[in-house]
Amino acid sequence: MDSPAPRLVEMADPAYPPSRSAPLVWALGGAVPWLILAVGQLLWIAVDPRNFWLHGLAAAVTVLGAVVSVGVVPVWRYRVHRWEISPQAVYTRSGWLVQERRIAPISRVQTVDTYRGPLDRLFGLANVTMTTASSAGAVRIVALDAAVADQVVAQLTDIAAIGSGDAT
Amino acid sequence: MLLVHPVHEVLRQLPLLVGAIVLGSATGNPMWAVAALAVTVGLGLARWFTTTYRIEPDEVQLRTGVLQRKMLSVPRNRIRSVQTDARLLHRLLGLTVLRVSTGQEAKGDGAFELDAVDVGEVPRLRALLLARSPAPAGVAAPAPGTLLARWQPSWLRYSPLSLSGLLMILAAIGVASQAGAGEALQRSNVGQAGLEAAERFGAAATVTVVAVAVLVASVLLAVLRSLVTYGNLVLKREPGTAGADGAEAGVLYLQRGLLRVREYTYDMRRLRGGTLRQPLLVRAFGGARLDAVMTGVNGAGESSLLLPSCPAATAEAVLAGLVDDPEVVSGPVIAHGSAAARRRWTRALVLPVLAGVVLAVVASTVGTPLGLWLLWAVVTAAAAALAADRVGSLGHRVSTGWLVTRSGSLERRRDCIATAGIIGWTVRQTLMQRRAGVATLVAATAAGTKRYEVIDVPAGQAWVIAAQASSWVADSIWAVR
Repeated sequence: MDSPAPRLVEMADPAYPPSRSAPLVWALGGAVPWLILAVGQLLWIAVDPRNFWLHGLAAAVTVLGAVVSVGVVPVWRYRVHRWEISPQAVYTRSGWLVQERRIAPISRVQTVDTYRGPLDRLFGLANVTMTTASSAGAVRIVALDAAVADQVVAQLTDIAAIGSGDAT
Repeated sequence: MLLVHPVHEVLRQLPLLVGAIVLGSATGNPMWAVAALAVTVGLGLARWFTTTYRIEPDEVQLRTGVLQRKMLSVPRNRIRSVQTDARLLHRLLGLTVLRVSTGQEAKGDGAFELDAVDVGEVPRLRALLLARSPAPAGVAAPAPGTLLARWQPSWLRYSPLSLSGLLMILAAIGVASQAGAGEALQRSNVGQAGLEAAERFGAAATVTVVAVAVLVASVLLAVLRSLVTYGNLVLKREPGTAGADGAEAGVLYLQRGLLRVREYTYDMRRLRGGTLRQPLLVRAFGGARLDAVMTGVNGAGESSLLLPSCPAATAEAVLAGLVDDPEVVSGPVIAHGSAAARRRWTRALVLPVLAGVVLAVVASTVGTPLGLWLLWAVVTAAAAALAADRVGSLGHRVSTGWLVTRSGSLERRRDCIATAGIIGWTVRQTLMQRRAGVATLVAATAAGTKRYEVIDVPAGQAWVIAAQASSWVADSIWAVR
């Protein structure tokens, strides 16, 4: 900007990891589609046991997919995911193959939503989404402990209430 | 106006009326047509009697509906733009449709639309609607603004370079063949004569003739379409009434169209920059088109268009006037370095090289005709040229208050975004990008296409750019200096 501030060199990563049970929830969530696929394949074998090699190939693909999405992806995601909220901004890191770091000023946050899926409820987790006036600017903090999520929402709504203007 | 509304209704329900007349003549009872006409006219009258609008100090209301009453109210401080759209009939009757748009994309029922307002009313209404604070009684007509651009016939030379004419022809052929015109043509005398002629001249000549004919027709159609939609285009900047904050930002006024006249009035306070777009062919002939980046106006398509393809100097001058800084519009951009260049080259050349390998293998076993190799060489050369051009256009620039990002070859665009309007930053890295040490920086805004990407900057530079543009990033607790 106008006055050359001390030149930023790098952004530190956000401080806080998601809930400890996040990898478990992600693993369970990731296992579901593969389980459905496996059941489908068993049915297929029962109905039509010919073409042994085709069944073998399909089973191999299913097992590989299940191992990756249950064993690898949750751990990877847990190592990447971080979040932190300062009085001015919210900053997250997320993803695994494609990793994103996203920062948005709290003065521009328009809504704060909490979402809890069935698995999240089972393990006491919650996801918080902060939307801004831009569809490319929504910040999601996923797989927080429910208590932490409530605290985050309270903190955010407190700060956001101070902001003025129409946040565009 | 009272007389005009039923006319509109009749015209709008013309297919129904034609159906009624057909039904009447088929059943031998002309009362059908009369009844349909009467109902339509009655509906038109009822619509006129039941549609009212009022402008309150803090909101505007529109009440509509004959049987189903509906009230739409829009807070006045959320009005982003006022448009008018006068089709031919409206123009003949001295009327226009006035549309008020807010930040939300309103379609159909949600749109605040005053159908058939007297043209003379429009300046007063527009000034009233766009004034942030309650306007004093009897708003004077706004002072004549500064003219930014006026349509020139020479702009038409860029219109054949778009594909719109060809697309129109293809669409027409598609519709015609759907309707069974192909078979009818084959049976008809013209079709037979054509087929005989084709047989006489041979396939190659026929294909050439047809291709040339389609090309000429598409050029003509594109020029005609461009003339009708953009003819008489006038872009002006007018001083507006002072807002609640006392700042006088003015409005941007755009009028275009020869037959169907459309007028757009944009609140300059909502302007967050502009995009210069240069499709390859237009760029080759030194042209560019200009889109506004504005909150409440969809960034893609016609609605954000300020100037159609016109000489690049004109588009740049207009944009420079809007952003008050010529450097932002035409200044040099910082290239993204060798890793980004390598990625462009890899992407462009992977397929040609693979195809070359396959060709070589086939050649060593079976043998390939020379023509195939020639084709391969041409495709590879084109891919290389594309890669070189993409590398050349990739760049960004951050100066006081503006982020500029440029990319693309077939559709090169230079986005100039006000950093004040950036409400979020994302640094995105795919696996390949992490290995190459680059990242894509995405600026989120509430305006235009909502996301503006700075593609493949060196990973270490991404946050530096974000911090240069937005002081709130540089001042955040995560910034490491």
